[in-house]
Amino acid sequence: MRLLRVEVSRFFSRRAVVLLVLGAALLTGLLAGSRIWDTRPVSATDLAEARAQVAEQLAQPGFQRELRTCRDDPATFFGPGATAADCDANLVPTPANYLNRATLDLAEERRGNGTALVVLVAALMVIVGTTYAGGDWHTGSISNQLLFEPRRTRVWATKAAVALVGCGVVAAVLLAAFWTALALVARSRGIPTEPEAVTQILWESGRGVALAAAGGLGGFALTMLLRHTVGTLALLFAYAAGGEALLALLPVDGSARFSPTYNVFAWIRDGVRVYDQSLACTPSQGPTCDQRLTITLLDGATYLGVLLLVTLVVSALLFRRRDVP
Amino acid sequence: MPGTPDLVVETTGLRKAFRTRRGRKVVAVDGLDLAVPAGGVHGFLGPNGSGKTTTIRMLLGLARPSTGSMALFGEPVPRRLPQVMGRVGAVVEQPKFVPAFTGRKNLTLLAHAVGVPTKAVDTALAQVGLTGRERERYKGYSLGMKQRLAIAATLLKAPDLLILDEPTNGLDPAGIRDIRTMIRELGESGVTVLLSSHILAEVQQVCHSVSIIGNGRLLASGAVDDLVGEQQVRQVRVGVADPGAAQRALQGTRWRVTRDRDRLVVEGAERPEDITRALAGHEIYVRELTPVRADLESVFLQLTRDTSLHRSGPVDRRADDADDTVEGGAA
Repeated sequence: MRLLRVEVSRFFSRRAVVLLVLGAALLTGLLAGSRIWDTRPVSATDLAEARAQVAEQLAQPGFQRELRTCRDDPATFFGPGATAADCDANLVPTPANYLNRATLDLAEERRGNGTALVVLVAALMVIVGTTYAGGDWHTGSISNQLLFEPRRTRVWATKAAVALVGCGVVAAVLLAAFWTALALVARSRGIPTEPEAVTQILWESGRGVALAAAGGLGGFALTMLLRHTVGTLALLFAYAAGGEALLALLPVDGSARFSPTYNVFAWIRDGVRVYDQSLACTPSQGPTCDQRLTITLLDGATYLGVLLLVTLVVSALLFRRRDVP
Repeated sequence: MPGTPDLVVETTGLRKAFRTRRGRKVVAVDGLDLAVPAGGVHGFLGPNGSGKTTTIRMLLGLARPSTGSMALFGEPVPRRLPQVMGRVGAVVEQPKFVPAFTGRKNLTLLAHAVGVPTKAVDTALAQVGLTGRERERYKGYSLGMKQRLAIAATLLKAPDLLILDEPTNGLDPAGIRDIRTMIRELGESGVTVLLSSHILAEVQQVCHSVSIIGNGRLLASGAVDDLVGEQQVRQVRVGVADPGAAQRALQGTRWRVTRDRDRLVVEGAERPEDITRALAGHEIYVRELTPVRADLESVFLQLTRDTSLHRSGPVDRRADDADDTVEGGAA
């Protein structure tokens, strides 16, 4: 417990960690702010500007000419059976055409920005876990720590726990702040949210927190293994980018199943259906051939879980055995 | 290995071999038998690359020995290291702290990890003369201040054994004197200090006993006075009117006679009066007869001279003579 308190203090005292957490908070705030701004209610000024644009459009001779042509022969424009009313309905602009203002729909936000935020926060937490461990190796202070607590497994486990919980808590706070802000704004605007959407947001956020926590833990474990922050980040980048490229070249059916990106999205979104070029189509299937592959939540969890578990085991075992500089 | 109870540090047949990144096999420590009795200051001497730091790192659990056994306070390590580490303070090579933290924060984190109260941090800082500078960031410290902070860290645990690897590196003369005084006082207060240093005058001034290693092996061990005394009786500086004639006159003896400007240095004579007698037999009369006062440096150079000649070979003793850094894992 003593060691845990010390590590928590060390974690939140590290400037790189603090800067990354602040950066994550700033990005979360910016994303929430931009969504709130982009979906703001239409003001009287906005409406007046839109009406002015409509009037300007209606006054243009070219537009009037086209409208007349349409009214004279609606079928040419909208097919058999069309009437002059169809021309008015489809061609005559309204203020709404110029407002281009979406409504703050939480269900829609979950599918778009919610997922993006989870990915962003998780990526930053990987860097947090990496820099937390990397600092000890870079400064050499790990050897000093071992002179005070020589039980290496205990040292590793305590640091791992702090990386896991620290990153998880940060992610939970950020995601909760994002959704709370959007929900409060939606309520203040009188926009209803379906209970099902709320449940989905809660589940997705929960999985997002788990992903960020696991990401922080994985980054920590890999850095304890490689003993180098930049080395770890380079490896992760190579795995993410190079791994995708390698998968595309593999002559294996369903190779997209092993894509890190797809598996991350499968975990966040409770499964994804992706296009997989490696799925072979026989000539007999013709146009009915479906090259889409479903990666379920369980697939994603298994893939990411195995990667994390292997990293943790190797990292902990080698930290026990290897000489410390 | 159950250690000998009255020995604070004990190694038997300790060996550390590893491969460098280029695949070259290096033997850093080669069957080292080391025994440090309780109390006093024990010097640990050896040329660069002789295995001093590697030995210390193995004792402290930072490196794994390839073979051999070690004990601290009679407890086998690394197996029982957690039980004895609370009694050991150590500075290994350069001080290693978090640069962005203040000196105080660095010490407080270490203290809290082992349940030492914050008050002890202030005491340790005062002991090494860092009071008033403790709230500055470590990265802004001079090398001497960093060294002092490292020593302060070792004092946090009020250790029974203090292992110091080149503790006066980077200190100014006043700092060196302070640290030497502190080491001497600690040794006199009952703490066992294992002092690794290449400053032989420092070791001779501070240490009661010494172990000298070369190529990872123990070359000599014992009280400083005994080691120096052994050397002292063997060399005598002789002043005569005609050194050349005197050298020729002594050629028939079993002593080793060398010229040192206008004097002779005779090595191997049991008693100085034997030289006087031998020269008088050739009607050469001695006008100066001075036993060469050996110091630790001459003992050290004498002992390490031979080993330094056998450094290269298919199996290197050290990958880099400049330091004792251990590379890679256990071989």
